[in-house]
Amino acid sequence: MSFRLFYHIYSHKIFFWLFVATFVAQIFFWKQTENIKPSFEIIPPVPSKYLVSTLSLGDNEFLFRILGTRLQNSGDVFAGFVALKNYDYSRLYQWMVMLDGLNPKSNFIPALAAYYYSQTQNKPDTRYIVDYLDQHSSRDIDNKWWWLFQGTYIAKNNLGDINRALEMAEKLSSNNSPSAPFWTKQMPAFLYEEMGDGCMAFVVIEKLIKESESGERKISAQEMNFMRVFINQRLAKLQKQKFDPRKCKKNL
Amino acid sequence: MKSILKYILLTGIRDRLYAGLFVTLIASFSLSIFLGSTALTEQQQMTSAYIAGSSRAILAIGMILFVCLNINRAFENKEVEFIISKAISRQQFILGYLFGFFIAAFLIFIPLIAAIFFITNANKIGLLVWSGSLLSELMIVISFSLLSSLILKNSFSAIMASFGFYIISRLMGVFVLAINLPQDLTQAKNHFLDTSLKFLSALFPRLDLFGQSSWLTYGINDSSNLKIILLQSIIYIPLMIFMAFHDFKKKQF
Repeated sequence: MSFRLFYHIYSHKIFFWLFVATFVAQIFFWKQTENIKPSFEIIPPVPSKYLVSTLSLGDNEFLFRILGTRLQNSGDVFAGFVALKNYDYSRLYQWMVMLDGLNPKSNFIPALAAYYYSQTQNKPDTRYIVDYLDQHSSRDIDNKWWWLFQGTYIAKNNLGDINRALEMAEKLSSNNSPSAPFWTKQMPAFLYEEMGDGCMAFVVIEKLIKESESGERKISAQEMNFMRVFINQRLAKLQKQKFDPRKCKKNL
Repeated sequence: MKSILKYILLTGIRDRLYAGLFVTLIASFSLSIFLGSTALTEQQQMTSAYIAGSSRAILAIGMILFVCLNINRAFENKEVEFIISKAISRQQFILGYLFGFFIAAFLIFIPLIAAIFFITNANKIGLLVWSGSLLSELMIVISFSLLSSLILKNSFSAIMASFGFYIISRLMGVFVLAINLPQDLTQAKNHFLDTSLKFLSALFPRLDLFGQSSWLTYGINDSSNLKIILLQSIIYIPLMIFMAFHDFKKKQF
């Protein structure tokens, strides 16, 4: 029997068994590869600046919003949510800095950092949030004073580092924004007072009053009342400590 | 020429260009509004950036497909031979097709801008500049698609070439960033990639500067880009048209 005749008679059977063989091979292949799963990282490494520029196709704002949403939803896996203590905050910090490079004006990333990511159960990780808020706001303190305040609050209450909080409060008090309330100027005084440094708290308030008297700064009646309450409330405490402002030699 | 314009606009209806793009834009708007509303803050800004970015891509892809498939069909159905056998010059033929495509794009463009205006509460001057810039970008893309369809004839090649042109033009900012030519140009042979990128950047338009979504949110802070966009459009659209004239003039039927 020639090959052509053999092929003509048995081709349908040959193709059927070839189909069965490839189907069985596919089942074996599936069995061997079913446990190969894509690696999942809550916060993946930050892409390089060239990759970011390539992905943006010239429209940084569009990419910023896409990656911002991605950062907001990171950890939202199909099986549920991942606790914030399991996040790699050093990478999170790098992502936030990179996104600031795409859009430094937006308040989306600082809001995400201050209101969401600062809530981690692992308190030392909030140092990255404080550092980011400091870096983000320091470029434009007059417009970003709110995030400096948030950084001060997180440093004091979540991180428990009052010196870092004071450092940020000093920056916060240097703002010249007309929209910033007067307490942004008083923030270092509150922190010095909490640290038990009555002298520095006194110096801060004294400086503000002098600025008001010289006309350098206008203080509203409400703000003046608040300062009086601040002084009166603490006066009893200071008297108990026999605090004498004349002995203060520190200067701001 | 008027009848060619009318014909192109009618083929837009026949090919369901307007309906197709309209439905895709509605889907993109819906998705953008949904994604924007999931944001922790700046929901309006989020929505407008998504709408701006996605609608630009949809319009560019839609117009590339429409132009390339339309010209290819005109060649296959011998419509081109039929039209140029009439008392019409080859330049008029190309201009007729080109303006037809421009008007077709503009017809989709008007409701898009109106929708962005009402939905996103965008910065008015920013929206105006963004619209003008997007229109210029579309005109450049349409001109290139027409040129590539005339040169390549095969619709698949023309579509791929147009997509390639659009992506490379949008990536031109990265190319410029990556170019680091040596001071001494005699060493240029050792910097093949840099030299190639420099060469490419001279030939392709700077579409990466066009249609910035941030204009819708923050308005225009730096007007120097606008001058570049205007000059680029004034130079590049006629460049494509003259190339098309030259190529079509030499074509034998």
